[in-house]
Amino acid sequence: MEKLEKIDATEKGRNYRILLILSVFIFTVPFWAGLIPGSILHMDIVNLMVLAGTYACAVIGLNLLVGYAGQISLGHAAFFGIGAYTTAILCTRMAWFPTWLGVILGGLVAGIIGWLVGVPVLRLKGHYLAMATLGLGEIAFILFTQLKGLTGGTLGILNIPSLSIFGLEFDTEFKLYFLIWAVVMLMMLLSINIICSRVGRALRALHSSDDAAEAMGINTARYKTMIFVLSAVFAGIGGALFAHFLNYIDPASFTFFLSILFITMVVIGGMGNIWGGLVGVIFLIFLPEVIQGLPHWIPLVPESLTNFGNYELVVYGLLLILFMMYMPKGIAFGLSRGTSYAKTKFGHLRDRISARKYEGH
Amino acid sequence: MSEQDMLDIDGVTKMFGGLAALKEVSFSVNRGEIKGLIGPNGAGKTTLFNVLTGVYRPNAGSITLNGSSVTGLRPDQITSMGMIRTFQTIQLFEGMTVLENTMVGCHTWTRSGLFSSGLKLPGARREEEKIREESMVILKDVGLDTRPGEQGTNLPYGQQRMLELARALASRPDILLLDEPAAGLNQYETGELSQLLLSLREQGLTILLVEHDMGLVMKVSNEVVVLDYGKVIARGTPDEVQNDPKVIEAYLGIEAD
Amino acid sequence: MRKVVFRGMKADEKRNRVLWCSIAVVALVIALALSLKGSKGLQWVISGLTVGSIYALVAMGFSIIYASTRVINFAQGEFSMLGGMLMYTFSSQVGLPAWLSFILAVTVVTALGAGFERAVIHRMEGASVVALIIVTIGFSIFIRAVAKWIWGTDPVKIAAFLGEEPLRFLGASIVPQSFWVFGFTAVAVILVFLFFNRTLPGKGMRAAAGNPDAASLVGVSTSTSSLLAWTMAAALGAAAGIIIAPINFAAYSFGVMLGLKGFAAAILGGLGSAPGAVVGGLILGVLEIMTAGAFPSGYKDAVAFLIIILVLLVRPQGLLGKPEGEKV
Repeated sequence: MEKLEKIDATEKGRNYRILLILSVFIFTVPFWAGLIPGSILHMDIVNLMVLAGTYACAVIGLNLLVGYAGQISLGHAAFFGIGAYTTAILCTRMAWFPTWLGVILGGLVAGIIGWLVGVPVLRLKGHYLAMATLGLGEIAFILFTQLKGLTGGTLGILNIPSLSIFGLEFDTEFKLYFLIWAVVMLMMLLSINIICSRVGRALRALHSSDDAAEAMGINTARYKTMIFVLSAVFAGIGGALFAHFLNYIDPASFTFFLSILFITMVVIGGMGNIWGGLVGVIFLIFLPEVIQGLPHWIPLVPESLTNFGNYELVVYGLLLILFMMYMPKGIAFGLSRGTSYAKTKFGHLRDRISARKYEGH
Repeated sequence: MSEQDMLDIDGVTKMFGGLAALKEVSFSVNRGEIKGLIGPNGAGKTTLFNVLTGVYRPNAGSITLNGSSVTGLRPDQITSMGMIRTFQTIQLFEGMTVLENTMVGCHTWTRSGLFSSGLKLPGARREEEKIREESMVILKDVGLDTRPGEQGTNLPYGQQRMLELARALASRPDILLLDEPAAGLNQYETGELSQLLLSLREQGLTILLVEHDMGLVMKVSNEVVVLDYGKVIARGTPDEVQNDPKVIEAYLGIEAD
Repeated sequence: MRKVVFRGMKADEKRNRVLWCSIAVVALVIALALSLKGSKGLQWVISGLTVGSIYALVAMGFSIIYASTRVINFAQGEFSMLGGMLMYTFSSQVGLPAWLSFILAVTVVTALGAGFERAVIHRMEGASVVALIIVTIGFSIFIRAVAKWIWGTDPVKIAAFLGEEPLRFLGASIVPQSFWVFGFTAVAVILVFLFFNRTLPGKGMRAAAGNPDAASLVGVSTSTSSLLAWTMAAALGAAAGIIIAPINFAAYSFGVMLGLKGFAAAILGGLGSAPGAVVGGLILGVLEIMTAGAFPSGYKDAVAFLIIILVLLVRPQGLLGKPEGEKV
């Protein structure tokens, strides 16, 4: 039985180790980011990383849905927005309302909406969810804009209070950074546990074959809905954190474009790779910054390239197509390939050195 | 139906468009027996399996498992009531190890949900431990315990068949529906399979076996049912069936009368 | 092989019944609108049927691709958008005659659809449906972003094919372009019907949708069938976008909504069924205009989404669709 535990432990244990190393790395970023010479300003990196953290909440859940349950959602911007509006409305209308409760409720409301859409649609085989969520995204945007009494219309909601938990105020990016990334890491931990469990096996099974999974007694509709709702809750929490981070929200932050950004993050990070979501978020959040920095670093790069906003959708569209064609497992898979390649190379080298030492003696 | 029936099929008809794939098929499978189901290609054996396991809904007739009706239930509901199948074309789960494939089989008798497994509550941990142990025991029974960490789809063909069987056994079934389990096996592997089936029967498992390898069917079955053009044309002990002129005609393709 | 699937009479009769029932319901709704609202009701019905025809064409594009490849093509709406914008360029900017602009615009979009199929979809043989759908999502936002570059964000007006002066008919005003829409939709529906029922490749594609073995017997490979499907879907989409442009304007962003509505129409009629697409499109068009009449106009676009959810809840195979693989 000793051998047996080892087999199981490799995958899960490795993920736990990666999570630990990554946490150490992430939580030290604010302390050394300023030291990078010639780089973007210190506070910019922390700011971007806080934004990345809120997006990561949505993308981690979406990755579970796309990569493990094989369903596409084009409405995660809606869940993100529903979470943001829920806490924003509660906390601005009622000054006494605890902000942390607003974040939790944001996740819950998003989850309930997800459940309402998921139950009828995921009962069916096929990929109806993609279109249904595209519609949901459009409707949510219409409602954010039209329900002026509640949402403030196109002006949005201003003066959203900063997060505070039991008297602890998270009123600067620096403080918020640790809170948001702690939430992200917690979600990662949950995801790892789920994937290596009965539920995770059921999801991977139904992704591989609906019919075979049902023959094993798995209620495929129930599991697809379950993971869709979980991903909606994650997105709702991310959106609520986003609202407390920026202190104001408007409908323009939750358009179809954001849903596409989430999907692109999942795809280029790596669908079905537990780390894919995080890799994709970091990559796409920093891509515009790097591109805007290019003309400063490399003299031949034209200045016009810095207006990334002008052509970002062209880039995302091409990335989606090219990654699916040539690198369907995403960057995370490439990274893990790279490290295991390096490991074996390094291992060979070490063997050879020790062999040489032996010969020398 | 009598007390000892595990599975009772009564007047099952399945139409595809205007064509009847099954016409009023009736027979029952006794508790603890191996029942062979044979017939020429296209006789409706796999269709019958699909109807029994809830993939297709029958146009008429009823199916009773262990005394309760399963007609019209979903495949996953029927599986959790104790009837599980294997597939004619191997359907292992991609990207999952031999052990994990078997562990999926344990789905029916386990309960851990999203929260208990996400938070790793003690109950979920204990259950996971039990799933792993039981899966390993079953893998040992079918002779696949040497490399549980291998990807299921990387195994040689014969072992993939055995893995499908192990996955089905892991669900603690009352009755096992096997769809051509010996297809693609060599003689040695078929021999091992028949030993395994006999020992499963000894342990009290009921089996409905669709198979083209007549040697295997005749060796292990208590009784054989013959299907042709969607109808039961003969039934009886292996000896009786082998000498039935209608069966010989069906297989040789000579017109009846 | 005794497993050839015959088209069952019973199922066909049942679908015919549903067809007649749905036509009756539409007729009833129309009659109700006419009797209650008089000329205003007639106005609604005509506008509804006009946009409904467009949804029908887009829905047919969805259904043709879905039937042959199981892929929901997210770029379907963008084909229409491109058609409209190219029509604007050829007719208003270059100054070519309308008929020539029409042919040129449809040709360009069709070539784009076929080219995408060969360059991307065809090369991804063996990829999962999820991967293919994601690729069409990528293609759609790519097309939209490029269109925004080329034509900017402002909607453009395209001259009607024949005159702008509305005709008066029982108190309702009808723009002449509506007749073009009806006429073209009718011709397109008939052509598609003839293709699938009278020509060898069409019959082959229908067979391929149900059963790949049968398709190879008829001599149409999955590859050819996929190429044909994309070509037709692009052509239908482009034409739909062009003929509606004089009524609804054209802009780089119009593809999403048109795609969503076309999809709702396809779901309503039964995804994968060409007659279903037409029925679904017309019903959706009328329903939408009625909603716009009864509620604030901002909510009009919600109808399509509600229809998707309701149909999937109540009758997932749609009005005229076959139940998936005869399953439960």
